Amino acid sequence: MTEQALPIIAWFGFKILSLIGIAVYVVFAGIIVRQENLMSHVLEEGFEPILRMLTYIHFIAALIVFLLALILL
Amino acid sequence: VPTLFDVAATSSGNSKKTRPMKNTKKRMGPFTSFAENPDGVRFETQEAKETIVLFLRQHIVVNVPWVCVSVLMLFVPTFLLPLFLHAVRVSLPIPATYIFVGTLFWYVATFGFILANFLGWFINIYIVTNERIVDIDFYYLLNKDFSQAELNKVQDISFITKGLLSTIFNYGEVVVQTASESPNLEFDKVPNPEKVVETIRSLIEKHKRGRPL
Repeated sequence: MTEQALPIIAWFGFKILSLIGIAVYVVFAGIIVRQENLMSHVLEEGFEPILRMLTYIHFIAALIVFLLALILL
Repeated sequence: VPTLFDVAATSSGNSKKTRPMKNTKKRMGPFTSFAENPDGVRFETQEAKETIVLFLRQHIVVNVPWVCVSVLMLFVPTFLLPLFLHAVRVSLPIPATYIFVGTLFWYVATFGFILANFLGWFINIYIVTNERIVDIDFYYLLNKDFSQAELNKVQDISFITKGLLSTIFNYGEVVVQTASESPNLEFDKVPNPEKVVETIRSLIEKHKRGRPL
């Protein structure tokens, strides 16, 4: 293994770790969406549609970051 | 017997009319933590004749710590991180793509942090109806706990106000002891605890006398 190959391997490892981390975060964002849906069954309230929209925006944003990381890193 | 129906004066019109609180429906907002006779709210197992008398969440001031952390998090990529790197004299050759994706992820995570904390506050609710007391809790975004106590099963009710903040902002813990085998209900950090206790006591009295509310 050459000296130049080492940083490349290190960055590749970092990329894999970053992707795993962001993927876990996407799952967390999905859980928030699910939680909000559960909550809307338990309690009907005026603010619930806005909250649902925010959870979806968050989930989509997390998904976009994952795709960007997959393409750019 | 404490008064259940407060006299509320209306500002509309020339003559100030008074009307019982029973008919005063209050519109709920996203930050409502104390509402008497709230309008437009229903919960999962609510029966047709059951009406919500009190709707409670933890006092809004309990959100201050995570709001402060969120504000700090917003400044991390643009201000705090460069300051830190400059202070420790670290000059890492980080590719621009990593900085871009990292910054983007940080802001999404900050948004997620705010959302999760807000949901944690928003979906933990306490409801007092004309028939029972309900405590709905969601723990760690995955676990749901639905506890309830019929008004005729309530043995004792008390409240505790401790600490500087709770005294200043008038919030405390309301403990409802039940006669049944189910555990006691605890309303944690709810606003106006004395009013909550007073209202529940009044409802129990009326329930004992068999008068529908």
